Amino acid sequence: MAASERIVGRGIGNKVILASVVLVAIVWMLPIAWVLILSFKPNSELMISTASAFHPPYTLKNYTDIFQTSGVFRWLWNSAVVSVGVTVGILILSSLAGYGFARAEFKGRDVIFILVLLGLAVPEQAVIIARHQIFSDLKMHNTYPAIILPGLSSAFGVFLMTQYFKAIPKDIDEAAMLDNASRFKIFWKVLLPLTIPAQATLGIFSFLGAWNDYLWPLISATKPEMFTITVGIASTQTNFAQSEGLGFLMAQAIFAGLPVFVVYLFFQKYIVRAVAGAAIT
Amino acid sequence: MSSIELDSVSKRFGSVEVISELSLTIHSGEFIAFLGPSGCGKSTLLRMIAGLETVNGGEIRIGGERVDHLPPGARGVAMVFQHYALYPHMTVFDNLAFGLKNIGTPKEEIARRIEEAARILEISHLLQRKPGQLSGGQRQRVAIGRALVKDPKAYLFDEPLSNLDAALRVRTRVELARLHQQTRATTIFVTHDQVEAMTLASRIVVMNARKVEQVGTPMDIYGRPATEFVARFVGSPAMNFLPVQVRDRGGLASAMLGDGSVIDTDVPADALPAGAELRVGVRAEAIRVRQDGAIPGKVEVAERLGDRTHLHVRLMDGSTLVAEDTGISQVQPGDAVRLAVEGATAHLFDAAGLAYHARQ
Repeated sequence: MAASERIVGRGIGNKVILASVVLVAIVWMLPIAWVLILSFKPNSELMISTASAFHPPYTLKNYTDIFQTSGVFRWLWNSAVVSVGVTVGILILSSLAGYGFARAEFKGRDVIFILVLLGLAVPEQAVIIARHQIFSDLKMHNTYPAIILPGLSSAFGVFLMTQYFKAIPKDIDEAAMLDNASRFKIFWKVLLPLTIPAQATLGIFSFLGAWNDYLWPLISATKPEMFTITVGIASTQTNFAQSEGLGFLMAQAIFAGLPVFVVYLFFQKYIVRAVAGAAIT
Repeated sequence: MSSIELDSVSKRFGSVEVISELSLTIHSGEFIAFLGPSGCGKSTLLRMIAGLETVNGGEIRIGGERVDHLPPGARGVAMVFQHYALYPHMTVFDNLAFGLKNIGTPKEEIARRIEEAARILEISHLLQRKPGQLSGGQRQRVAIGRALVKDPKAYLFDEPLSNLDAALRVRTRVELARLHQQTRATTIFVTHDQVEAMTLASRIVVMNARKVEQVGTPMDIYGRPATEFVARFVGSPAMNFLPVQVRDRGGLASAMLGDGSVIDTDVPADALPAGAELRVGVRAEAIRVRQDGAIPGKVEVAERLGDRTHLHVRLMDGSTLVAEDTGISQVQPGDAVRLAVEGATAHLFDAAGLAYHARQ
């Protein structure tokens, strides 16, 4: 009796949770749907009223206008180079650092690890002037390394990989040591393949972060040919864009977000797992 | 196969000494068990031999060659871990091949060795699977196979059966015994399970609190335990201990219990320390329920095991002991019984836990 009551209770509880989740999803999706609809509307109609979004005419002109903007493909390419560069760099450095913190025994290891974690608490804005000065002195602004390098110091990445390496039983390393594997081989052939779920999580977050980054590329890249897509699109917006070119603005937003959307489509499984994992831990 | 010699080896973790000047020789082809409770240092000792722990003092020699300064892979030993430690992302074949590839073994030779090991361990059909697709027992076979293909100087087993269920543990135990008979390989087997140690090993090293209590054959350990710890740790139920007063009976010791009853032991009286507090140690199978028994008592609990029953009996002075009633026992809890002790198998222990036995 009690058991069946519990099951019924659980059923109702599940429905309430499901309804809440659906509601939150709708609230979250609405602005995106709104942006998408507006992006297909002629700017002239939106100037009169955005309520016109609910009825035709619809147009692709806002999107064709984007392609006519000189440099948009260059900006896409720049974003791709920067995002891939940051992602690959973070994966390599965080894996090496994570392995070191998790497995190597050296003096001051714990102190250094805490210092790295403190990096999580330092906002980018707090260091951006000093960083700008350094790259200025090195005459590196308007280069890929200037946009990529600051993004490689990922305290989160080091922390994530350290925890992941720590979770792998040391027996595995020891078995490999008895199997005559060198330290590098143990890292490369035995442990690194076991961290692929963490690599996927970190890679996705790093890619999305780099793709969406605006502040540092805006400061470092002053020449249009070095703009990333976020900086480039923003540069095309006039002072009256929100009143005179709202549809175009919305199309730009959708366009800039498309690669992220594609990444999400392909790596949905890992993103969900990563977010769920973060919630649990 | 090779002998293993430990010469005054010591191990410290920080300021704590976990192994102190331990010396031991394991003969070539011998199956030896390190037996002891958790934390006694048995796994640390095994890991020192494997090279997974540094040695702070003394020497370790395998096959006459000093190895304590060599990395694990260069010592020529293979280890089977408690949690298998298989490489999860590799197939069984690759798990077995990994170590051989690392020392540059030709592909054909690797394939031949894996085929042979897989045949012996009956895992040929599993070679293309990954560890995650295997049962616990299958994983353990693969772990043993990984050791087998290396044709090592010695096999080191670190509690390899403790993760298996009871039935599988018994089966794997028998298979390990069979495997050792086939290979005649020098083997060290770490366990806290006295049954595993007794059934598998030709010699047992009983360890407690980071030191060796006794080294001997299983029957030596069981029949002539060197210390009270060994007597308590080996054998189920544990040996009975009762305080006694000892008298000389024509050169042999007679032990008088608290209730005045006497056990005539075969322990030489002159070997005993004069005036020391002593306890008699008797195994349950040496205490029988008999009408003419000298020790009266009352049964409190009867543990029926089928072919025999363990009776927990309260003696007149309030002490308890466990007796064994063979066959289908009619004794019930609450029954008054008389117990007869086979004095020839009794041992005496002094306050330091040191044992005194009958002459052999």
